[in-house]
Amino acid sequence: MQLEFTRAKTPTGVFFDSDFATIDNLLAMALLFGLQGKNECRVAIVTMSRPNLAVAGFIDTVQRFYRGPAGNFAQVPPVGMRTVGAGGETSPAFTVPFDKRKLDGTPVYKNEVKRVIETGDPNTLFRNYLEAQYDQHAFVVLSGPATNLAAALDFPRMKDLIASKVQHLVVAGGAFPNGPVERHIQADIPAAKKLFAEWPTPIVASGYEVGSALEFPGASIDKEFAAAVPDNPVADAYRAYKQMPYDSPSWAMSAALYGARPTEGYFKLSGTGAISVRDDGRTAFAPSESGRHRYLMVDPAQKDRILAAYVELASAKPTSPRRFRPPDAAAKDAAKQVQKDPADPADKPEQ
Amino acid sequence: MKNRPAPGFLQRKALPRRTFLRGLGTAAIGLPFLDAMAPALRASTVPDAPVRMAFFYVPNGIIMDGWNPSYEGKLQELPRALKSLEPFKEDILQIGNLTHNTGRALLDGPGDHGRCCGSYLTGVQVKKSLVEIKSGVSFDQIVAKEVGGKTRFPSLELGMEDARQAGDCDSGYSCAYTNNLAWSSETQPLPPMLDPRSLFERMFGKSQKMTPAERARQSMYRRSILDFVTEDTHKLESNLGPSDRRKLDEYLSSIREVERQLERAEKDTRRIDPDLEKPYGIPADFAEHFKLMSDMVTIAFQADQTRVVTFLMTHEGSSRPYRELDIPDGHHPLTHHRNQPELMEKVRRINEYHVKQFAGFVEKMKAAKEGDRSLLDNCMIVYGAGLSDGNAHLHEDLPTIMVGRGGNYFKTGRRVLARRETPMCNLFMTMMDRMGVHVENFGDSTGRLEGLDLA
Repeated sequence: MQLEFTRAKTPTGVFFDSDFATIDNLLAMALLFGLQGKNECRVAIVTMSRPNLAVAGFIDTVQRFYRGPAGNFAQVPPVGMRTVGAGGETSPAFTVPFDKRKLDGTPVYKNEVKRVIETGDPNTLFRNYLEAQYDQHAFVVLSGPATNLAAALDFPRMKDLIASKVQHLVVAGGAFPNGPVERHIQADIPAAKKLFAEWPTPIVASGYEVGSALEFPGASIDKEFAAAVPDNPVADAYRAYKQMPYDSPSWAMSAALYGARPTEGYFKLSGTGAISVRDDGRTAFAPSESGRHRYLMVDPAQKDRILAAYVELASAKPTSPRRFRPPDAAAKDAAKQVQKDPADPADKPEQ
Repeated sequence: MKNRPAPGFLQRKALPRRTFLRGLGTAAIGLPFLDAMAPALRASTVPDAPVRMAFFYVPNGIIMDGWNPSYEGKLQELPRALKSLEPFKEDILQIGNLTHNTGRALLDGPGDHGRCCGSYLTGVQVKKSLVEIKSGVSFDQIVAKEVGGKTRFPSLELGMEDARQAGDCDSGYSCAYTNNLAWSSETQPLPPMLDPRSLFERMFGKSQKMTPAERARQSMYRRSILDFVTEDTHKLESNLGPSDRRKLDEYLSSIREVERQLERAEKDTRRIDPDLEKPYGIPADFAEHFKLMSDMVTIAFQADQTRVVTFLMTHEGSSRPYRELDIPDGHHPLTHHRNQPELMEKVRRINEYHVKQFAGFVEKMKAAKEGDRSLLDNCMIVYGAGLSDGNAHLHEDLPTIMVGRGGNYFKTGRRVLARRETPMCNLFMTMMDRMGVHVENFGDSTGRLEGLDLA
């Protein structure tokens, strides 16, 4: 993969945390990397909220697929994985693609994560990669229980770091303005309570009803995805997840799309208020002018546009990693045009 | 009634641990642990033998395929860079996957060499500046502050190349960052001592400085410092058993050997330039220089003169050529080899050469006895670098070995892999515990590094 150079504005860093219990989470990853290819964001890290090495191995494979091999200027960070709690079900989506073979019989995808030490601690990764972001130049997408993010809030100095670096958190979870208990919230009610009560930046929730109303068109897997790249781990996972053809709710995708393009008008937005989590796991929204929470609403007029964006972004083929430089370093270089040590890879991209 | 030893048997008065040989014109010479210092019945055990720690830092990263074995667990055949340590592999703990996030750019752009060395023992991201120096208190100094009062020197900061403290040493990072490991405050680095004679005089000699001419004149008539303490030595020997006498003799011989090496080096320097102002007596030969300095580290540890040492083998970003290996190219440019095999081979040879020198030090530490253990057993000697792959300037999986058992605590002879991105500061937390210094966190630590002990 050749390196491209750019001095364009550094795109926003994305932190994606999920339980990867449903296929839309993989589609959301594909969508975020599609946005990265358009230089609209950079996927900083992907973390998992359940200890499941098989899933972590596949997520790592997807990261490598999009990021390219590790090497100068293109390091692949480890997948962050929680190590306590239940590992949960391992869908065939995460295992069947590893059986795929090339014509010569070698595997198409290689699983490089076999042990916990090959993953990273979510809190440490979250902190380390947040520190590499410009202020107010990152967003977080949560599509799973709030376990990891709630734990991060208790990590030393993290609240301040989040407050300075993160623009907003988008939570795929809950039901708004009211509705039944949603799976992500229910999975860890104390963590969800803590998250909505203590998270120091604005939160936008994409409730169950949003992703359910916007089904990702499964037909695109054998059309747009296949046309872009013959072997795409996300497409192969989609095929293995359920009997084809099927469309998938887009809970995580809707949150990711809004997170990266909040001003595109894809969704209607509630007024400000405060989201709280009841003891039974149901979410509630209390409007208030000073509130920092909002929730998304589906705008039927935007549905086709959203689905088109899903397909276009998620099916995009991986692009070369771009090399970003801090503005001051770029300006200095332009002024000097002198390199003391031309061999020095002095300007690695920010993480 | 329990068995009681015969009266008088326990009455033998133990020699105080802080016994010195004194003489006119010299500082007091501390002694290694002798059996006579232990209370009766415990003659073969060092009473509360202190744990010591040292850091030996090499610059510009390592060719990692020559450093990391392909296996985990018990150390078998060591990889190429570590081959010289083969005889001591049972004393080695090789730790993989430690990361210094604070060495990374984190929005500060170029300057990985400045950052990685500045953050190595401090665990903080240093300020990118040539004048406004800001790092953090290094963890060796936190330890030195706590335990240093028990020894003559709270810590020793040593090095072998370039102790400049100002100027631009890496893309806007002051030389204060590349040329120091130890920091007593966030603005105060402790420059390493490069000159073996200065170190010797600090350890054994008079405190006032001499000009090169005075020193040369003196050295023509130089007597060994041991000559000045002959009377004390004889007095002490007469009260020692044969084993202690042998130990004392070996110890004093090692001091004499250092003196001889110094004299040889100074003779060479005089031959080259009799008016050379500073540094005086630094051997031109890298191996000889290292041996002198590291021999004195052994003596300092043996005599419990200090418990904390940092040793910058060459400064970070060093472009020193290794002509002794027929490598005229600078070390740093070579490490940007762009995967060219012939350049990589030269770096591999430099990596091996550094470890070979270090292995000589380990041998000496292992040979020095402290009760029924070796001196090495009571130490934690870390050898490592602030970059892993020097070509790509990587700050993860930093090359790190710990030699010695830290007072029979670490389970050595194996390779342990931490989880990816585990902060290097977690290792420092564990080491601080072993030094009896307990803090809640340090740098970017997230806890202690577990799984290193005998449990």
